[in-house]
Amino acid sequence: MSYDLLKSVVVLIALLIAGGVFGWRAYQLLWINLRRGQKSPEAFGRWGERVKGVLAYVAAQGRLFRVLVPGTAHFFIFWGFLLLSLTILQAIVEGLFAFIDPHFKLPIIGEFGPLALIQDFFALFVVIAICYALYLRLVVNPERYKGSHKSQGVMVLSFIMTIMLTLLVFNGIAINLHKDSIAAWRPISTLFGLPFAGLDKTAQFVVGEIAYWLHLGVVMFFLTELPEGKHFHIVTSVPAVFLRDLDPPGRLPKAPEFDGKLGVSTVNQFRWRQMLDFYTCTECGRCQDVCPAYASAQILSPKLLMMNLREHLTARDGKPLIGDPISEQVLWSCTTCYACDQECPLFINRVKTIVDMRRYLVSEGRMDAQLQEALAKLGRYGNSFGQSERNRAKWAATVQPKIKDARKEPVEYLWFVGDYASYSPSVVDITRQTAAVFQRAGLDFGILYEGERNSGNDVRRVGEEGLFEMLVEKNVAALGKANFKTIVTTDPHTYNSLKNEYPADATRNTQHYAELLDQLITSGKLKFSKKLDYTVTYHDPCYLGRYNGVYAAPRRVIEATGCRLVEMPRHGDRALCCGAGGGRIWMEEGAVKERPSESRIREAVALDGVSVFVAACPKDITMFRDAVKTTGSEARLVVKDLIELVNEAMT
Amino acid sequence: MNLVVPIKLVPDLVEELVIDASGARLDPDALRLKLNEFDDHAIEQAILLKEKGAGQVTVVAPDIEGVDDALFTAAAKGADRLIKLTGNWNNGVNNHALARVFANFVETLRPELILTGVQAHNDLDGAVGPQLAEHLGMPYVGYVSGVVVFDNKAQVRKEFPGGLIAEMDVVLPAVLGIQAAEKPPRYVPISKVRATMKTAKLETFPAAELETAGAPTTVRLFQPETGARATMLAGDADAVATRLVEIFREQGIL
Repeated sequence: MSYDLLKSVVVLIALLIAGGVFGWRAYQLLWINLRRGQKSPEAFGRWGERVKGVLAYVAAQGRLFRVLVPGTAHFFIFWGFLLLSLTILQAIVEGLFAFIDPHFKLPIIGEFGPLALIQDFFALFVVIAICYALYLRLVVNPERYKGSHKSQGVMVLSFIMTIMLTLLVFNGIAINLHKDSIAAWRPISTLFGLPFAGLDKTAQFVVGEIAYWLHLGVVMFFLTELPEGKHFHIVTSVPAVFLRDLDPPGRLPKAPEFDGKLGVSTVNQFRWRQMLDFYTCTECGRCQDVCPAYASAQILSPKLLMMNLREHLTARDGKPLIGDPISEQVLWSCTTCYACDQECPLFINRVKTIVDMRRYLVSEGRMDAQLQEALAKLGRYGNSFGQSERNRAKWAATVQPKIKDARKEPVEYLWFVGDYASYSPSVVDITRQTAAVFQRAGLDFGILYEGERNSGNDVRRVGEEGLFEMLVEKNVAALGKANFKTIVTTDPHTYNSLKNEYPADATRNTQHYAELLDQLITSGKLKFSKKLDYTVTYHDPCYLGRYNGVYAAPRRVIEATGCRLVEMPRHGDRALCCGAGGGRIWMEEGAVKERPSESRIREAVALDGVSVFVAACPKDITMFRDAVKTTGSEARLVVKDLIELVNEAMT
Repeated sequence: MNLVVPIKLVPDLVEELVIDASGARLDPDALRLKLNEFDDHAIEQAILLKEKGAGQVTVVAPDIEGVDDALFTAAAKGADRLIKLTGNWNNGVNNHALARVFANFVETLRPELILTGVQAHNDLDGAVGPQLAEHLGMPYVGYVSGVVVFDNKAQVRKEFPGGLIAEMDVVLPAVLGIQAAEKPPRYVPISKVRATMKTAKLETFPAAELETAGAPTTVRLFQPETGARATMLAGDADAVATRLVEIFREQGIL
């Protein structure tokens, strides 16, 4: 048998084995396992948007650049992979048809000069990017990689490196041996051939063949290993981005029910689209890096959670999920701030998945005593303060002229005040200032008085779906009695639920007061009598910023008051959560290294000349005023609500 | 085993208490009733016993506003039978009358163990439990914070003032006044309570005539009077501390 024939046979056998192993493993993971999951309506429809998503987030690698240098390295590896998969194809086909022609070239792919030039350069870029990636993993080893499979990562990088170097070597030798008709288009390969140019032809041939076999061997082995761990994202990332959840992040899906219990307790109770997320996690740790729960207590790592779920899914053991290794504490630690999902290059939903498991804990009554008490109060009185609903509008008793009762007379704006703004003794003064600003701006507004209940936003995120539904019913009934055009809310959490989760015909148009103030200022209805002279920083509330994209309006309002705005390093969609969301404010705090709110205040204090910390959420006021005291920053920083600035500039 | 939990609803102190025109009772229109907290513990203790294999739990309550929620919640936790006693509850009821009504009805259930809340914040004429035990001729142990049931007896942990705890055996049938269930009352999700509302049955039976004999009569109710008694001590820490010590001496505390 000639060498060429042997080459063809070996390549064929290798291809069949590697392809078979890959196909079988991928079939098990993607077909058998995902079919065990539940229906995923969120993965379909709005196809145009989905195609755009693939172009923006896969082709252009949109979210990767949020961490610039590693993102750029990944960009080159990704595009190198796409472009050079053609050269791999060429190499395989060349081997397969070696018995006919040892230098068989695929049309275009193997013979088109400009393509060869691009590929040649990309091979070099990939080599450089891999060197950087190895340096990042082995030398820098950032905190975000803690818990990731390091050896797997290094192995994959070494594979890619070997594939690239061997490609350049056997291309270079083909050029040396004058067997490449488009040699002029491969300057990098030519360079890689130079060290071997002095050898005789046979020796060069042997080196070239060794490079070829190494190249092919690593490619084939890599293929068999692909459906394993983090590198499976090479397969799943395109479908994951294409079929991503296009519902607003602030709209949770309805709670699934199994055997009369709400929530998810085994891996097969997840929707298959959620399962696809578990496979898609690349263990890059960007989520872990931005997670306030991870930073404060290191109990919850959104990355490790995804990795654990993937293990459960792959093991197919049907074991209960919660307990070991996903502890109840892990699930309760989440503030639902959405920073993880926002950061994820592949649009993995962690918050929604965490809430699904919390729903199960609630259905089992497994929760800490403080949360149980808060839920009982919310169930009975419609507020977490455990106060009578008759006292909900007590703060308004001293407001003159009396605020309209929107249930009794028509108003243009229905002000949905919310629990903290209504009941918290430390916040009601701000609520009264809000009323004063609205009145001075000549706004036609009213409130629901004792008809209002907690909106249920955080009740839902705790996992108490039934209580959320009950609160929605009561609020919808109260709203139904009112005649209004627009709802304006004080609390971003309330805003989120009313805007995204309530029936649209009950809530119509919903605004946060920052948006309303912005409009009133722009239209000239709200006029300032003086310019304030503060240097301030602004904290984006999670449910206003990340969840609903309201970043510009509050900043315009701040600037309109005359204040100078200095941004904290973490601002906009990178803002750090105050730690109160997702019902955390009702739970026992547990052991923490540094509270998120304290970390935030220290961040603000470090800014030059900033004396006012502006917030636009009643819970933020509570959290950050505490944090100013516990960090001893009283002399440096005052926490003010946006409305306090506006009120001050008006009077 | 037949476990019976008679419960009562009491005014919710979150709401403002208003004395009505007669001056002798609370204005029912301003009242909002809720399950007596200790009765909630009694229900929990009964369900914990049931879960350990001891029979069925029947919860009995006077048919007044708010009772359905309390009964359905008990069912969602695991109670088997829910019974409302209909009668003329409109003018309120004292514990003497309530204990007689309970005794009268509960006898028909042939209970082996009756668990009641040891007290309620509106007990003006003694707790329900001991009176119920007296009418039924059963032994009573109050301030109980743990129960184990054997064939014909219960071993209970009774708390005495001063932190003393006694373990004692009671021959069944008996009435217990529960101070605290072994575990805090559980949380039942609203969805489960709502599902229970659709499936659980509320049985109604007529209550016996209200017989208040033996109970004191309320002549007049008063709102607590607020006095201006707070004194703010000014000055530095030493001066304040010195003055504090003087005050303690004047009051005979030191």
